[in-house]
Amino acid sequence: MFRLRLLAATAAMALATGIAGAQELVIGADVDAGTLDPRLARDTTAYRSVNLIYSGLVHLTSDLEPVPDLAESWESPDPKTLVFTLREGLTFSDGSALTAEDVVFTFETILNPDFSAPQRGLFTPIESVEAVDERTVRFNLASPYAPLLSYLDMGIVPSDYDGDLSTDPVGAGPMVLSNWSRGSEIVFSASDSYWAGAPAVKEVTLRIVGDNAARAQAFEAGDLDVIQSPLSPGDIKRLAADESFNSNLAAGLGVTYLNMNTSKPLLADPAMRRAFAMLVDQSTIVNAIYEGVDEVANSIILPSSWAYDASITQPTFDPEGAKAAFAELGWSDSDGDGVLDREGQKLSITLSTHSEDPNRIQAVEFLQATMQQAGIDAQVQISDWPSFSTGYVQKGEHEIALLGWLNIVDPDRLTYNQLTTGAGLNWGGYSNAEVDKLLEEGRTALDQDARTQAYQKAAAIIATEVPYYIISYQGYHLFYKKDMPADVTANPRGTFRGMIGMPG
Amino acid sequence: MADTKLRARRFRLPRRLRNAALLIGAAISSTIILLAVFAPFLATHDLAAMDMVNRFSGPSVEHLLGTDNFGRDIWSRLIYGARISLTIAIIAVVCSAIIGTIVGLVSGYFGGWVDLLLMRLTDIFLGFPPLLLVLAVVAVLGPGLFNVAASLVVVSWTEYARVVRSTTLSLREQNYVQAARALGASPWRILLREILPNSLGPITVLASLGLGTAIVWESALSFLGFGLPPPAPTWGWSLSYGTRFIRDEPWLSVVSGAAIMVTVLGFNLLGDGLRDVLDPRHKNRG
Amino acid sequence: MTAYVIRRLLLFVPMAIGIVIVTFCLLLLIPGDPAAVLLGQEATPEAIATLRRTLGLDQPAYIQLFIYFGNVVQGDLGQSIFQNAPVSEIILGRIGATLELAIVALTMSAAIGITLGVIAAMRPGGIVDASAMVLAQLGISMPVYWLALLLMLAFAVMLGWLPAIGRGEPLLSAFGMAIAGNPAPLLDSLSHIALPAASLAVNSAAIISRLVRASMLEVLNEDFVRTARAKGVRRRQVIWKHALRNALLPVISVIGLRFGALLGGAILTETIFAWPGLGQLTIAAISQRDLPLIQGIVLTFAMIFATVTLIVDLLYAVVDPRIRLK
Repeated sequence: MFRLRLLAATAAMALATGIAGAQELVIGADVDAGTLDPRLARDTTAYRSVNLIYSGLVHLTSDLEPVPDLAESWESPDPKTLVFTLREGLTFSDGSALTAEDVVFTFETILNPDFSAPQRGLFTPIESVEAVDERTVRFNLASPYAPLLSYLDMGIVPSDYDGDLSTDPVGAGPMVLSNWSRGSEIVFSASDSYWAGAPAVKEVTLRIVGDNAARAQAFEAGDLDVIQSPLSPGDIKRLAADESFNSNLAAGLGVTYLNMNTSKPLLADPAMRRAFAMLVDQSTIVNAIYEGVDEVANSIILPSSWAYDASITQPTFDPEGAKAAFAELGWSDSDGDGVLDREGQKLSITLSTHSEDPNRIQAVEFLQATMQQAGIDAQVQISDWPSFSTGYVQKGEHEIALLGWLNIVDPDRLTYNQLTTGAGLNWGGYSNAEVDKLLEEGRTALDQDARTQAYQKAAAIIATEVPYYIISYQGYHLFYKKDMPADVTANPRGTFRGMIGMPG
Repeated sequence: MADTKLRARRFRLPRRLRNAALLIGAAISSTIILLAVFAPFLATHDLAAMDMVNRFSGPSVEHLLGTDNFGRDIWSRLIYGARISLTIAIIAVVCSAIIGTIVGLVSGYFGGWVDLLLMRLTDIFLGFPPLLLVLAVVAVLGPGLFNVAASLVVVSWTEYARVVRSTTLSLREQNYVQAARALGASPWRILLREILPNSLGPITVLASLGLGTAIVWESALSFLGFGLPPPAPTWGWSLSYGTRFIRDEPWLSVVSGAAIMVTVLGFNLLGDGLRDVLDPRHKNRG
Repeated sequence: MTAYVIRRLLLFVPMAIGIVIVTFCLLLLIPGDPAAVLLGQEATPEAIATLRRTLGLDQPAYIQLFIYFGNVVQGDLGQSIFQNAPVSEIILGRIGATLELAIVALTMSAAIGITLGVIAAMRPGGIVDASAMVLAQLGISMPVYWLALLLMLAFAVMLGWLPAIGRGEPLLSAFGMAIAGNPAPLLDSLSHIALPAASLAVNSAAIISRLVRASMLEVLNEDFVRTARAKGVRRRQVIWKHALRNALLPVISVIGLRFGALLGGAILTETIFAWPGLGQLTIAAISQRDLPLIQGIVLTFAMIFATVTLIVDLLYAVVDPRIRLK
């Protein structure tokens, strides 16, 4: 008797959840959001979460095209000015009106050094922001700044909110925060105040599973409806081949690269860096270690970018050529111990990476073996991310470090702050006046052809001088169950709007 | 009459079992140690020889235990890995034993506020979650064989301190110790001559069990990326890579996990057996 | 007894102070800047410096330590750098999950361990005894995280019987719901906790089973047992009524110590099974260098450890009147 009741109860529950389930989505994430304030976001989950809760002036499509979001149109009366017209009747999720004041407030706080916005560096060319009237915002730039439009999907925050946006966000996006169980899950529900209407999916649960293998297993077991990069290559291959899931494998917006510290005497000469670069077997690393889920790179410009040029080439894998190059620079094995030396000094180098990514560890181990074979005394140093990045690479103490960059929506993002002389992210101390000039041009020219020219020329120089050796272009891999509540538009930034029935 | 028969029937086989533990444990342990010591002669391939075409191949004539994710010979790397694991384990255990024994002897013999202080110190180390402490020490000291061993010492010395302290406390009251005191022998002499030799039993048992623990710890550290840097052929790295590939290529994980398990088993059995032989009070305590 | 308890609690204070100081020193020495980690790779050095000033990280070590102690005695464990919430709140929110996992694992290991140990002790030297002890040895020798991954692979992925990750409704409230007539959340919670608890339990179960067996064997040989046998009491009754109760005394102490070990072992298991407890939080906090949070977690673990050992010692004294508390 009891068992019958139990069965009936379970069946009823299943039916109920089944019905509700049609409009719910469970997405797997690898890290918890650090904050839900778009101005302070710096991890991928935070970006994607604030992308649901807030809206920006523009929205970037999967082709990285800015299309109107909160702003219905914009114009540039002169190269140093950008004027946006907001839509009519915009409101935040708490009912308050969204006006130009809020836009001004958002960017003024970002630009304020004491606010410590992680992405302030992307907005520094902005001199001031002003509200011309309730629906018009004007950006005054210190110099023309072409990439700005692609950064203006920054979520707009209310200017008169006394709560803490990091934990109680109020935005004008398609969804609102429903519940946040730290380290465990974030639940969003559809907002009824989004200007384009409510999304098809009524509830999104973001479940945090740090371990990539565990996340893939949870997806296969049906506990998650959607998962995306980062995933282990083995899981990617297996899931892609599995007919019971849908997948979208595309070019991503990240790179895996070697950061060569040009301030170290051994690596100061571009010829040395080129010689080392000739020992990087990109093909094996990408196809064996990464199992082909990424692409071999040829330059610092991504294939997803309008500036891409397939004809630019970095040094390719050539052990003989490397040996000859080292010999030319005076390195030979004079004492027969298998290690190249010059004036009594052994050719030693330290390869480093961080411990959280097993593919990078394998890549470094593989590089070490290749270099060892070529007669270089190569050592490996592995530490966890904070040690590696903040305590080592960012202090310019590394020699050759393997790491990556993400979110490269514009070529400027991977070049200006990293490779111009004295720039904040130029940890390897690279300096080339010609490159400085070209990158400045690329940033300030407003005509895309002119920008393309500048970036391609800069990329060619960088490919010869190799302060950065780009190993691979990261792929973006999305897997989702067969019966999704809405059509899926994949976006290489991994944002979720395309999964809830909104234009991706 | 019936009593002894009863007792004899009950405990004849267990004693054989106990000795079996000692024998099997000793056999396994010595095999592993021999493999480690003679690794250069027993290895069939160069440790660093990568062969990306033949990754994850199973056991074959050419590769006794197959190849790993880089196509390197698993057998050769495992026996060299035994060297590393055993070296770290032995250093860790010896240092823990020395430090812990000194603390335990002093604490147990002198008592009073020395005891209080030392026991509070022990409590401090015990109150830390061990993984945290190990990670912290390795992070501070940096990578390296001795640093990994040092981090293990930090979490294991307290065991020895406690055990030695309790044996010291009980031995302190023994007649011959009292006699030596009465004769005016210095505390250090008493400690070294009378008390320490009688504590060696439990210390040896702890040490043998501690070897197994140290090996598991070392593999956990490598698993988290904090152990010896590659390309060191530690068991931890093999297991770490193995578990990453566990879905599609489980062999590497199975064989490295098994290596660790068998070795730890061997040392545990040895410890058990030694416990019965050296410390009759603990004969049946398992 | 009360004097003993008070004395033990007082002794906790120097231990806590010692732990805080040691943690502080370790954290200061570990490379890695939480401000830089917080702001990410794209932040400028100026932004990082500003944040360090805001967080008070640029002050000399002894001042930071002083401030921290001052706050702790007022009950304020500080603010998490990464989570924008008080450390005490974060820990309290997570501790339930870890305690739940540890208690369930402990219960499982006690049940399995005691049963196995008793069965083995019933016919010492026999096949059952030998196989049980071999199993126990294997259980002790297996690395926990390896076991966890194997279990997940077998039961969650290949067989699909149990969920791979996460936690259901907290067991206490799930029980409440079941009693109120809705058993579904309870079944869900149990299915989620099964694998993580099992991975943790194996090691402790093995240790407990060996101890129970040894303890039983020793007790079975003692006078009062033989007296009972001589009086004609049946063997089974002897085992369960007399021997077990006495044999369990040393086991209680070990169970208590295993609880501490389980809490420590939970760190890796929680990460693998995405169990939202303190262990997972610890790994996250360390990998971000969230100093106040790490400090808070260390103190919490120390407190739990001290409490558990105190309870075990008290329990021991209550159960065995021969023990006198010093």
